[in-house]
Amino acid sequence: MNRYLMLGSLLVLAACVPKKVDEQPIMQNNDRVPDASATVAAASAQAERDRADAAAARGAIQAEALADCAPAVCDAVVRGELAIGMNEVQVLAATRTTEDAWAIRRSGPSLVMAPGDERVVPADVVGNVAMVQLADNRVSRYAYTEAQGVRMVDDPSDATTEGRARALAEQLEREGDEFAARGDLDAALDRYDRVSVLVPTDPMIDYKIAAVLDKALRPYEALIQYQLFLHRLNLETIEAEGAAAAQLAEAIALAQQRIVILERQTR
Amino acid sequence: MMSRPRTVAVVFLLVALAAAGCSNKNVSRIEPDTVTDLSGEWNDTDSRLVANALIQQSLTDAWLSRYSSANGGETPTVIVGDFRNRSSEHIPVSTFINDLENAYINSGAVTVVASDGEREQLRAERDDQQEFARADTRARLGQELGANYMLQGELTSIEDEETTTRFGASRKEQIRFYQVDARLVDLESNAVVWAGQHKIKKYIERKPFGL
Repeated sequence: MNRYLMLGSLLVLAACVPKKVDEQPIMQNNDRVPDASATVAAASAQAERDRADAAAARGAIQAEALADCAPAVCDAVVRGELAIGMNEVQVLAATRTTEDAWAIRRSGPSLVMAPGDERVVPADVVGNVAMVQLADNRVSRYAYTEAQGVRMVDDPSDATTEGRARALAEQLEREGDEFAARGDLDAALDRYDRVSVLVPTDPMIDYKIAAVLDKALRPYEALIQYQLFLHRLNLETIEAEGAAAAQLAEAIALAQQRIVILERQTR
Repeated sequence: MMSRPRTVAVVFLLVALAAAGCSNKNVSRIEPDTVTDLSGEWNDTDSRLVANALIQQSLTDAWLSRYSSANGGETPTVIVGDFRNRSSEHIPVSTFINDLENAYINSGAVTVVASDGEREQLRAERDDQQEFARADTRARLGQELGANYMLQGELTSIEDEETTTRFGASRKEQIRFYQVDARLVDLESNAVVWAGQHKIKKYIERKPFGL
């Protein structure tokens, strides 16, 4: 009998090991998990109010923007694209925004519109808008944030496909020059190749490609590029341009020298 | 005084009845919002708690109004991306992700587009319509909405346990910690525009002999 009593006491003792954690539970079995429907309903009501307010504001902006506009500007507003000559309201209409999206600074007759929040940048159909500058309530210049940097548009020709390609090529060429200066010849060649697609008629890009290939010890390709460079040039025209083409003339002389050397090497 | 064979028969009958009673199955429908913790592992209650927290955090955060004011009152479009389970348990993350998606859609504050798995089927059906459906009823191509943000996240867990043995009886204490992180990432800039988090800590105690 005593043996059973002792065993029972030991078991009770074993069960009474103190808890390591002594915290009050915040949720137990048979409690209820609160519902999120109130949050959803509140967000829904807020979204409905915001949408109605924004629709009214945008409707008014659109009507005012299209009420009295030149045909080219009207077209741009309808396409959703910024254009030189737009007024402030037309800028809002073209970017499908209201004044809330912009930080607007006025100084006399000039006005600068910049994104109100860098995290959510206003955009038109072309890209994210970095800045719009107006003089006497007409857009005089504007800028886009693009992969290669900021692209300015201060002339209607800059906004065309060719103008955009020209600006992009310029940015890529600058990047290529930087890579070449750093000694990253593969990256420089990649940028120059992309420039030659955008602006196929620029002989200086052919020369730069040839020079990079030459430095990268790819003589066969360099030779072809030097020859292509010379082939593309109209030498007589360059001579007629005189000093203005001095840089090109120097490149021609260098290309001719390298052709002679490379031809000897590759024989 | 019962005879021996009769006693054996009565004992056998009692044992059989007890065994039958133990294996009796009982299934009942209960409210889905009831907290029912059985093993201490991840369960429906945890999923609901996470969903509620993420819905509350994402629908009341400033990212929505920021987007709306920069885009003339338009609602942002979200696509659901990868949600990784990095815990040691098998956890179906789609339960709380679907709750979050439903809340976005029902609130009207966020537009949700089909994720990559769903849209393959939609595109196949649309392609099929171009060939077989009547011209005026065809779904047009190239009209999909591009998402502005991708919802991504992960679920991680940490476990800690100790078993104390005294006089042959052991007592087990365990801590399970779950952390769910969700992020909305701008698809153009990779900027995280919203980050939500919910943590659950459970204390599980297994005493010997049900004491």
